[in-house]
Amino acid sequence: MKENAPFFVGYLKIPAKLHGFLIKVSVIIFASFVAGAFLAGASQDDPGKAGFRFDFGRQKLKGVLEANPYPLLHVISGSDRIDAGQTIMLTAQGKSGIMTDTNALNGRVVEATGVIVRRGDLDMLQVLPGQRGIKPTNEASILPASEPLGRWRLQGEICDGKCLAGAMQPGRGLAHKACANLCLLGDIPPVFVSSKPVEGEEFLMVGGADGGMLPRELYHFVGQFVEIEANVERRGDLLVVLVEAENVKVIK
Amino acid sequence: MSVKYIPVQWNPNKWKYNTIMLVSVFAYLWIFIELTPGIMANEGRINGQIHNARAFGSCAFFMLTVILCIGPLARLDNRFLPLLYNRRHFGVMTAFVALTHAGYILNWYFAFSSSSKYETLLFANTSFSQVAGFPFEIFGIFALLCLFALATTSHDFWLKFLTPRVWKRIHYLIYAAYISVVAHVSFGVLQDQQNHIFTITFMISALIVAVLHLMAALHERRHGDQMANLSDGWVEVCDISEMKEGFANIAMLANGERVAVYLQEGKLSAISNACAHQNGPLGEGKVIRCLVTCPWHGFQYNVTDGRSPAPFTEKVPTYNIRLEGDVVKVDPQANPPGTYVEPVPVKA
Repeated sequence: MKENAPFFVGYLKIPAKLHGFLIKVSVIIFASFVAGAFLAGASQDDPGKAGFRFDFGRQKLKGVLEANPYPLLHVISGSDRIDAGQTIMLTAQGKSGIMTDTNALNGRVVEATGVIVRRGDLDMLQVLPGQRGIKPTNEASILPASEPLGRWRLQGEICDGKCLAGAMQPGRGLAHKACANLCLLGDIPPVFVSSKPVEGEEFLMVGGADGGMLPRELYHFVGQFVEIEANVERRGDLLVVLVEAENVKVIK
Repeated sequence: MSVKYIPVQWNPNKWKYNTIMLVSVFAYLWIFIELTPGIMANEGRINGQIHNARAFGSCAFFMLTVILCIGPLARLDNRFLPLLYNRRHFGVMTAFVALTHAGYILNWYFAFSSSSKYETLLFANTSFSQVAGFPFEIFGIFALLCLFALATTSHDFWLKFLTPRVWKRIHYLIYAAYISVVAHVSFGVLQDQQNHIFTITFMISALIVAVLHLMAALHERRHGDQMANLSDGWVEVCDISEMKEGFANIAMLANGERVAVYLQEGKLSAISNACAHQNGPLGEGKVIRCLVTCPWHGFQYNVTDGRSPAPFTEKVPTYNIRLEGDVVKVDPQANPPGTYVEPVPVKA
């Protein structure tokens, strides 16, 4: 230590020679935090316009329920926001789908009540719990036949449909992977976001090649940019891609 | 210094230090949470919980960065030592800011399912065998545990209970925590960034920490204490002409210990260079009112017996010393802490 160097002792007065230096350091620390807050806070990516549409009010729809691979409603009688003829994915509240409620109702006409979650032309209806959400009717119904669109090679991302639709903002990507997996474990419909439109659609529901739910081994690919080769079907106005685990690979 | 344990030994400098740090942290959080949403020209709005989680998470990272810069800065320039004095206070603040970040994450991403959020945190993503999509949350959990281990043991009670040597080793966990935070951010939020401003800010921050440590290590290598020569069972410290009144010369012994030899009132005395408090470098301290004062936290010792003045009880080892011609020599065998050694007068 130099003879004339100021020596700081915490419980004594600050040496006069150190005053100016410590004031400068304090200002630099404060300014760094202010600059850091602006840089980190204002540079966050735009999650896009999406979310729960509570402003639309509670939606009461009537339609034919299709349970597999995940619950869909082929709308017969719509609302001012959802037209008749539209096909809409269904989910329950929180990170839960409505699979256990709907398997017995496959192909039946039901009344579905809930709130819309919307991103662009991706709609999902979050139904109320129990019979307040899905109420079977005695009306006769015919489940619309699916239309095979052949085998496609697609690039894009497997997401959980609800967060993607706007339940979480942002609701996709690798930072969101654990949340997406949790939603999928809860039977919320997965959605594939295609990098190029498929028959004019960017969003496709994802199921397993056997027509059931997304195979668990594909959860490792959630949130990543992947290439899949799979059969695509049209269910009402919604496209469904049915994926085999061995035909999915990571692009980057 | 204290003769009994109290939660915080407040003094005016501690109040100033904590005020500056707290004001900086509150400014960061207020700007991030309240101001930046109005600045962003985004079409969509980020969820409040996610926005807050990012605010607290990034703040904790910058706080850790500052904490880790203080050590090497103080090695490179003594004027930074006042920042080292109360660094533990800032560390405890960091642990709580990080905990708030974890709370937002846990109660948002891992809530709303039929399982406990603590369980879902561990099982929701199990892609441990891949780089992209790796469960980066695990790094965050580890860092948080480290920060709380450090915050919990930050009080001087634990320092004395665990001994400075063990305490110091435990507190090296700060480096593991920082590396873990870097991994947490790199495998997490950086994977999805389209706007790279935060990425660049983050990388520069981590780089500053690495470069400062490298510079401090190089400085230590160039200007650090040299191994002392041994002759006749005594080690040569320096020539008497190199000694300055009120200051020390330091010699490194073969066993890695350092001896601080002081010239005080024309007499030579030698004590261990390691302060009993946190192993601070006593040889870089100054004699104030006949007591050598540690540059880290102001602990004081009488250089003749290595004892803190009553009523304090800290003690450091002393060394036998002699003057052979103009060469100052010490016995490499340390005396038990607190042993009086008659100072050796320097002939005028």
